[in-house]
Amino acid sequence: MSRNRLYLILTLALTGGYAWLAWAFYRHSTAPANFSPCIVKNVTGIACPSCGSTRSLVHLLNGHVQQAVLANPIGLLLAVIMVVLPFWLIFDIATGKDTVYKNYRTFEKTIVKKWIAVPLVLLIIINWIWNIQKGI
Amino acid sequence: MDANSNLKADMYLMTNARFFLGHHITFLREKLTGMHDSKWPQIFSSELKDPSNIQIVSLLAGGFGIDRFMIGDTGLGVAKLLTCGGAGIWTIVDWFLIQDATKQKNMEKIQSMI
Repeated sequence: MSRNRLYLILTLALTGGYAWLAWAFYRHSTAPANFSPCIVKNVTGIACPSCGSTRSLVHLLNGHVQQAVLANPIGLLLAVIMVVLPFWLIFDIATGKDTVYKNYRTFEKTIVKKWIAVPLVLLIIINWIWNIQKGI
Repeated sequence: MDANSNLKADMYLMTNARFFLGHHITFLREKLTGMHDSKWPQIFSSELKDPSNIQIVSLLAGGFGIDRFMIGDTGLGVAKLLTCGGAGIWTIVDWFLIQDATKQKNMEKIQSMI
């Protein structure tokens, strides 16, 4: 994947993410949202590992950190990415550098190493079990 | 470019054509026939991903990003996993894109060896 393609995908993902979050935030303040875009959950009825991260982000926007962690800890990770990445992308595009791209490549190479990948997969599975048990 | 390397290239492409995109084949044939003989064992033993298998994985476990992990797009796989398969939209888009993406990855793999 080339630098520009990655930046395009990231920009689209961030825009979509913010639009979705704005809609969810608006819905949450008027009526509780009962629509889920998750295919896994809609097909099987069982939550996926990242189900509940929208609720987590909405809680975070309302300043309820504890509720955000209880809804889904992945929300916190997404929040960090959604805050940092736009500035980082703008910096890269403005200065014509490719620091995001280089770091993305390093990230891809690092995360597949066994001693990093196995604990992360375990964490995701634990979060998944917790999600199902919570009945999200 | 002797007859032997022509034969090897044709044989390789005949058995592995389904792993590549149509416009890759001509380019690959040109490269493979002009390639040094010592590289053949590496090319023959390189394991390519089957687009049909990945398609099935994408249909069943695309929501978790497993398809992207399998073809080596780890970064996108993580993104898909953390966002419920890109809010379901990316999962559906990938049902249609994943075969070509797999073929593209196979091509990149072979290109790094030639």
